[in-house]
Amino acid sequence: MIFSFELAIFGSTISVLIIMFLLLYFYAQDYRKYLLEGKQEVIQERSQENAILSNMKRELSFAAFFMDDSKSIGIRYIITSLLFFFIAGLAGVGMRISLWNPNPTFLTPIQYNVLLTEHGTLMLYGWATGSILGLGYYLLPSMLKIKSDKLGHLNSAMFWFYFVGGVLLIFSRSTASWYFYYPLTDQLTEAGGGSYSFAALAGVLLILTAANVASIIFLKMIFFDRDKSIRLSKLPLFAWSIVSTALLILSSAPVSMVADVMLIYDLINPVFFTGSNGTALGYAILFWFWGHPIVYVAVIPAFGLIYELLPKYANTKVYSYKSGVIGLLLLMVLSGTVWGHHLFNSGLGTFWDLIFSTTSFLVAIPSAITVFNWIATLWTGKIRLTVPMLFILNAIIDFVIGGVTGVMQADVGINELIHGTYWVTAHFHFILLGMTTGMAFAAIYALFPTLSGGRRYNVALAKAHFYLTALGTYVMTVPWALGGFQGMPRRVAGYFGIFQSYQDAAAIGGIILGIGQLIFLINLVYSSTKPISVSNENILESEVIYGE
Amino acid sequence: MSRITAISLALILILGAGLSFYFFLSVPQGIGAQGVSASYNSTELIVLYANAQGWNYNSSHPNPTIYAKTHVLLEFKVIEQDNLPHTLTINPGNSENQNSAIVSVNIPPITGTVVWVNWSFGQPGTYTYWCIVHPETMVGLLIINSSTNQTASVVPNSIQGYQLSNLSIGNIYGAKFET
Repeated sequence: MIFSFELAIFGSTISVLIIMFLLLYFYAQDYRKYLLEGKQEVIQERSQENAILSNMKRELSFAAFFMDDSKSIGIRYIITSLLFFFIAGLAGVGMRISLWNPNPTFLTPIQYNVLLTEHGTLMLYGWATGSILGLGYYLLPSMLKIKSDKLGHLNSAMFWFYFVGGVLLIFSRSTASWYFYYPLTDQLTEAGGGSYSFAALAGVLLILTAANVASIIFLKMIFFDRDKSIRLSKLPLFAWSIVSTALLILSSAPVSMVADVMLIYDLINPVFFTGSNGTALGYAILFWFWGHPIVYVAVIPAFGLIYELLPKYANTKVYSYKSGVIGLLLLMVLSGTVWGHHLFNSGLGTFWDLIFSTTSFLVAIPSAITVFNWIATLWTGKIRLTVPMLFILNAIIDFVIGGVTGVMQADVGINELIHGTYWVTAHFHFILLGMTTGMAFAAIYALFPTLSGGRRYNVALAKAHFYLTALGTYVMTVPWALGGFQGMPRRVAGYFGIFQSYQDAAAIGGIILGIGQLIFLINLVYSSTKPISVSNENILESEVIYGE
Repeated sequence: MSRITAISLALILILGAGLSFYFFLSVPQGIGAQGVSASYNSTELIVLYANAQGWNYNSSHPNPTIYAKTHVLLEFKVIEQDNLPHTLTINPGNSENQNSAIVSVNIPPITGTVVWVNWSFGQPGTYTYWCIVHPETMVGLLIINSSTNQTASVVPNSIQGYQLSNLSIGNIYGAKFET
């Protein structure tokens, strides 16, 4: 073989990478032994090790990537979903800045479409799904006092499915938007769905596989593995919200996965959704059968977190446990029946439009049960305005605004007018920013003593993070709603000049939001430099005994 | 969480976001964005029927080689013929190259749809016009000769000297196909 300089560089880089990974693996094994110190006599197999590790208070650590107990899997998901959150967030801020002028300031339409797609897919599949799976893996074992953790290797494999799926989404640079409609997705050009949009489809498939398997494992944890002392009627509401989410994922995600495989097959031999068959709408139906439930998948665990955190910061009990469970389960059932409201303008027919309109109005009932339950809990309690509590209160207000703007769209007539406008964007950003993102950060702040190994976060910085996030949400989404109601179209790189004031206000809001998230990172680094000052107890896992 | 973990996590998040943003923006701009249509002194109409078996498949000369001149606005009237998705894509060179395409326009798959594609070439040379969906069958050459007269005066169509009687589709509009 001829020696070449490039080959030598390539070879040495690969060997260095391999050595680094081996070293990391051995460090992780060392860390594992250190954590399990003094328990060697009771351990007979790996699943027992996992069970012990899963019940420990576990810190944020990169060693988690090489350990396969539930807590480590949770930390992996939290770290990775934060990465996807920052990638997708920067893409969103980029779009806002480019829309400062009616003629795009620095993005070409193709670049805009790439950012739009990456923002949507990574936020929903990377951040929302990932943070929920992470918190589920992290919190469920200690909430349910699980004694066995035998499926660690499967959890670990599914995490890597999720991670590789997210990386494929990034590398696809698809321009087909997050719903991957046919025939756009199968036009493999930059002006079509992106040259590698099939990679995005493969990424979505991998992530949904991970979500499905994780859902089954969550259901197994909750119904089979939980400690006998926890009766079904005493199950934490967070566990009920995970039950609701898992059933929702299992009942709807496979439909979208089938549609994705059909899309990939159509690249080779267009038989399923070709225009001459008149079934381009077929893909839309298959997609939205999952596309609406995923919004609830992102929201229902946040409800569960509110149910867990709110009573603790209000020094009281949940006002009504039963109505909480009923609300969460009703949301699951009803949200599976409303997907047609995304297709009011696609020609499903008046009959179906009215059916989906009715079911969409009905979703207001479990949502209202839930919100009234929170308000009643607040009413009877004594409120402490800690940082997680601020996030919770903001989440409730944002959810009410987002919910009301959402119910308005369920009216078929109004939907004709506001379909495809920024009104819709405003509606779901209220919910996804206020509820999903806000509650994920509330959980991270509530878990902070444990995640940081006994440190406090800087309260001033955390409050700055909260206020900038909340303010940014309002400054960005209220102008969207106002402009959207006048017909400001979404998903476009430019716009008509009459909408400039709305877009400029939204751009300022987006920048405020971005600065807020940077403050979160600064807080993370700043608090890690402080000495250990508190115990690593946290209020979400307060009943867990260390090491048992 | 040690200090190293926190700092490296923050660095990974920021670097990941920044590098991904750079990667997103470096998407190939290829089609429709690389060139700007040149100035033109006159216009010329070229009619193309989009058919999966070949451009102008029903004529006696499918996939005709089109001759035109620089600084003439070529007005392609593309007519959908077979209910299948097509594009009119033009790139420099003798072969299809999607990444260097200067024009790419989608033709909606509804028979009878007419799409107008206007382009004026500033550089003489050989170009390829084709359909991205059917690159094997729908491909032809577009040969641009330099115009001697680049002033605003109108160049007569007949100056190329092709026999109009040999032309197939589009001859009445003055398009010049190879015979």
